[in-house]
Parts: sequence; structure tokens; C-alpha cells
Amino acid sequence: MSSEEILKAKDEGLAHLKSIYRDDAETIIADARYGFISGLLKDVLAKPPVERLTLSDRIDRILVNRWLGIPLLLLVIFALFQFVFVLSDPLMEWISQFFDWLGGYAAGVSPEWLGSLLANGVLGGVGAVLTFIPPIFLMFIAISILEDCGYMARAAFVTDKVMHKIGLHGRSFIPMVLGFGCNIPGIMACRTIENPKDRLTTILINPFMSCGARLPIYILLAGAFFTQHQGLVVFAMYLIGIVVALIAALILRKGVFKGASSHFVMELPPYRLPTIAGVMAHTWQRGKAFLIKAGTVIFGIVVVVWLLSSLPWGVEYASADSWMGQIGSFFAPALAPAGFGQWQAAVSLLFGFLAKEVVIGTMGAILAIEGGLLGGTIATQLGWTPLIAFCFMVFCLLYMPCVATIATIRSETASWKWAGFAALYTTAVAWLVATLIFQVGSLFTG
Amino acid sequence: MTQKEITIALAGNPNSGKTTVFNNLTGARQQVGNWPGVTVERKEGRHNYQGYCIRVVDLPGVYSLTAYAPDEVIARNFIVDQKPDAVVDIVDASNLERNLYLTIQILEMGAPLIIALNMMDMAEAKSHHIDIEALAQETGAPVVPMVASRNQGTDKLLQQIVRVTRGSTGSRPFKLYYGQEIENEIARLERVILKSHLSQKYPPRWLAIKLLEEDEEILKKFQEAEVV
Repeated sequence: MSSEEILKAKDEGLAHLKSIYRDDAETIIADARYGFISGLLKDVLAKPPVERLTLSDRIDRILVNRWLGIPLLLLVIFALFQFVFVLSDPLMEWISQFFDWLGGYAAGVSPEWLGSLLANGVLGGVGAVLTFIPPIFLMFIAISILEDCGYMARAAFVTDKVMHKIGLHGRSFIPMVLGFGCNIPGIMACRTIENPKDRLTTILINPFMSCGARLPIYILLAGAFFTQHQGLVVFAMYLIGIVVALIAALILRKGVFKGASSHFVMELPPYRLPTIAGVMAHTWQRGKAFLIKAGTVIFGIVVVVWLLSSLPWGVEYASADSWMGQIGSFFAPALAPAGFGQWQAAVSLLFGFLAKEVVIGTMGAILAIEGGLLGGTIATQLGWTPLIAFCFMVFCLLYMPCVATIATIRSETASWKWAGFAALYTTAVAWLVATLIFQVGSLFTG
Repeated sequence: MTQKEITIALAGNPNSGKTTVFNNLTGARQQVGNWPGVTVERKEGRHNYQGYCIRVVDLPGVYSLTAYAPDEVIARNFIVDQKPDAVVDIVDASNLERNLYLTIQILEMGAPLIIALNMMDMAEAKSHHIDIEALAQETGAPVVPMVASRNQGTDKLLQQIVRVTRGSTGSRPFKLYYGQEIENEIARLERVILKSHLSQKYPPRWLAIKLLEEDEEILKKFQEAEVV
């Protein structure tokens, strides 16, 4: 009973205040607090009348400059990819040689089925994924350095203007950059976005940001099909992801969740020299998940792939007659317009829903070949052209996020509806974009 | 010897060095989990000091305590519902003005507050001179200057935590004057709020201010109270 009375008293009070101040009570209360603080500071704080420009301020004059800001940001991201690929190349070579050597041993193990499981399944699948430890960890190191030194906050600042054009703001940019590492922390970082519409939009576009797990797919295919322009092709994937995300945001924000985007003051913490211990700790926190996945989920999937590829008994390993081949053949026609209508591609994509790096692991297990040679084998056995490989990469970039990401979307939005929507609309977008590129590209390449 | 357990909450703006203070206080004895109902990370640690087992709960880093963002709701619900023995507000001394906005909101909730004035080195580098005594006087809360990145001031902070939870020094009741018109409305609302059982759980003046701000969470609390 009394609650009604209280709420009525509140409404009367607010109406009265509004008639006097012609402003919300909330604003007046906030003003009074700021007034109190500035009064307090007069007594407490003595500072030089003109603030001397700190080193951070001087760096910011260049890095967040109105004209230079965005080109410099692109340069930083491009340098990040170069750093990752140049350094990881020789390391990956060693790991891949190690698995080739181990595979030779394993194939000789008796009984024959165990040898096949070890060589084709486990080493082919898990080995193919583990080859990508160097680029993934280097990527996490690079992101950690950018975060720890304070540049990530500047990236949000310089993109704020562009983001407003699509109905979001700079605060949505950090979750997007974090999505380059993994979509899960990216989606979780959306909690700092106050406006629920901005928040939901930023969550739903995050899967388009190319996470670390998709990197192995690009590296493998770009390495095999675009030897001269490997870095450029991978960079293009990230760029396509960003562009699709921005278009999706524009459509969602202006079409589905209408309403003004909010304004806020963005904080630019001073630049700090990142500590080695700090960068290592952050890299490890992120990279650990990848290693655990390789040891558990991916290992399990690889065994399932091997089994399905070996059954029914007596069938040739991973042929079109195997169960695996039959599942893939069922879905493959739907992918033909995008260029990769082979059952092997369909099966890899299906398993990729469990974790995107599994796409490569599955290919490795089906084609029974380890990391180093896999790229070339795809070209010869599946008859792929560079155009098809490119479309396949685009599809892997855009199609439904992995199951862990879907689960995160569900928990962050508290709705299965949005989680399901995220899975379906991304796949539709992936099919459309890949088909478009393939069909248009075919006109030029014949 | 039986150890008395006390709970303190760490509040503060993002980039105020809150995590560093948390690590200095708890060392390796940390547990990471989630806040109930949401997936915001919740960190908790322990530290034994002068016969007390101090349980340190790290609140999400926030600028304000409104009902607009989930992080802010979590931080303030912990303070008003769990009623920690003390709230330690980590304040970036080189950005006093912005950081104090959170400080006074915690004070308004009637929580026993300690101001940890962190990054004193940065403030000095910017030639900001802070009168610690005056700050403590005007806010009514004890102030501990710190440089958490060099682990300076941690012991002073622990001493202050024990002193506040013993009740020997505490923040004295804080009241910000909002101007006559607003104060009239606050007083009027406080009188009716006293009839609600919510006033036993939360400070009536704080409820009144939140109602005038049309804070969604608090409005919901009153609407639900009616059903019960």
C-alpha cells in the first residue's frame, strides 16, 4: 500500500521540480554533485594553472590526430599481421616437420587400425591444429602489447566518428578488436556499453571479427594458393570481416533497433611501457584456452572424424562412400554456388561449428596428411583454384560462430532467440558473400 | 586463536590501479568466479592481518553507480545488499575530479569508506599537490596515499581497514547539500519511505535521491515491495 503512496509522492516531487528548473531532477542532482566536487577540489588540490603537456599528450597529438588517426590505426593493424606471419613462418615449419616425422613412425604401429587412427586421425587432425600455436600466440602477444601500452583506447577514440555513422560509438570498437583474439572476450567486453540497443548490436556483429581460431584456415590456404601475397590475403580477410560487421551494424541499428546512439566521455589513459610479465600473463590467459581445446574438444572431434571416415568397415579411408562422405555429400550441393561443393569442404565446415580451427583438423584427417603438405593436397585432390580457396576463406570467416561463442551470446543477452538469430543470419551472410565473390570472380577468371 | 573474518569491497574507476591494489592485498590467494545471474567476472581474495582474515572482493571498475550499466548495478548492489565491513575506493590521484564522482556516490550510500589515493607519483609528476588532511576532513573518510605499482601504502591501507572495521575511526555520515528545492523533496520523500520496509534495508535518504533520479532498479524495488 505504502509503495503506491511513495511512487505518487515521487511523481509529484518531480513535477514540482520540473516546473521550477525546467530540467530533469537527475541532471540537477548530477550538477550538484559536480559542484560539490569542484568546491572540494578548491580546498584540496593545488595544481599549476596551465597543465604542462605530458609525453602522452604529445604522442596523442599524432596518434589521435584527426587526419592521421585512422591511417595510422590501419598501419598498426597491418604491422601487427606482418609481425605475426614473418615470425611464425619458420616456427611453423619446425612443428610441421616434427609431426611429419612422428607420423612416419605412427603409421608403422600395429594393429593396422591403430596405426591409421594415430597417423591419419590424431596426428593429421591435432597435428594440423597444433602447427598454428606460433601465429596464435604471436597474435595474442601483439594484442596484449597494444592493450597494455594504452593504444587500444586510442583505437576506440579515433574510430568513434566512423562508428557514429553506423549508429554505434567508439566504445563498441574495443569489443570488436578483442574479437580478433577470440569472440568470447569480445562479446563479454560489451558489458561496458550502457545503451542496451548499442550493446545488443555490438554483440551480434562480433562474430564477424575474425578470431584467432580462423587464422589457421587463412594461413594454410593463403600459403598454398597465394604464396606471393600471403600477408595481404590474410589482411583482406580481416578487412572483409570488419566491413561486413559495419554493414550489419548499420542495418541492425538503423533498421531493427532504432533509436539514438548515446554519447559519452572516452578515457585515454597515459601511455605506459608494457611489462614483459604483464604481456606474458595476458597472452597465456588467452592462449591457454586454445591449447586446452586442442587437447580435448579437437582431439575428440578428430577421433570422431576418423571413425566416420573409416566406417562402414572395409570402405576406403575417407572416400565418398564412407559415412563421412555421405554426410558431406548431402550438404555439398548447397555450397556449390559458392565454389566449394565438395563433400570434404561441407564436412569440415560442419565440424567447424564446434571450433573453427577444426576446419583444418578435419581436412587433415580426411585427406590423411599433416600440416605442412595439407595446402598442396587440397589443391590437387579437391581441384581448388585460388578463387575457390578465397571464397572458402570468406565463408569460414563469416559463417556461424563456434558453439562456445553461441553459448556466450546466449548468456550475455539472456536469450536463446538472439543466440539462434546470430547463428542463422551469419550463415546466410556467409553464403551470400561467398557466392557473390565466386560468381563475379568466375566471370573474370573464366 | 580464532580469526575474525571481515569483508571489504574494492571499488574504483577503470584504470585507477584497482587490480594492482587487489593483487598487492591478496597475493596468490585469489578465486575467480562470476557474479550471480550475470557473467561479469568476480574476483575474491584473502589476507591475514593482525588476527583478522580479510576477505577482499573486487568490484567491477565503474565511473558511476547508476542503473544504466550492468557493471554499475553489480558494484552498488554488493555495497548496499552485502554491506561489507568497509569499502575501499581506489582513486587515481592524478585525475581527482573524475574519480571523486564515484567516491561521493559511495559515501551517499552510507557505506564505511576508505579512500585509497593511488598513483601519487603520477600526481606529483603533473605537479598536483593534494592536501590529504583536507580531503579526509571534507569527505569524512580516512585517506591513504599510495603508489600501488611500487607496492607503497599497502600496509597503511591494511591498518586503516582494521581501524575502520573496529569502529575506532570511521567515515562520519556524509551529506551532500542539493539546494533548497531538491532538499525539500528529499525530506518529503524520506518521510513516506520510512513507512516502507525497504527503509530498514537501505538508507532512506539514498532511496529518496534514487527515486528523484528515477533509478530503474530502485523503482522496481518499490513496485515489487507493493506486490509483497
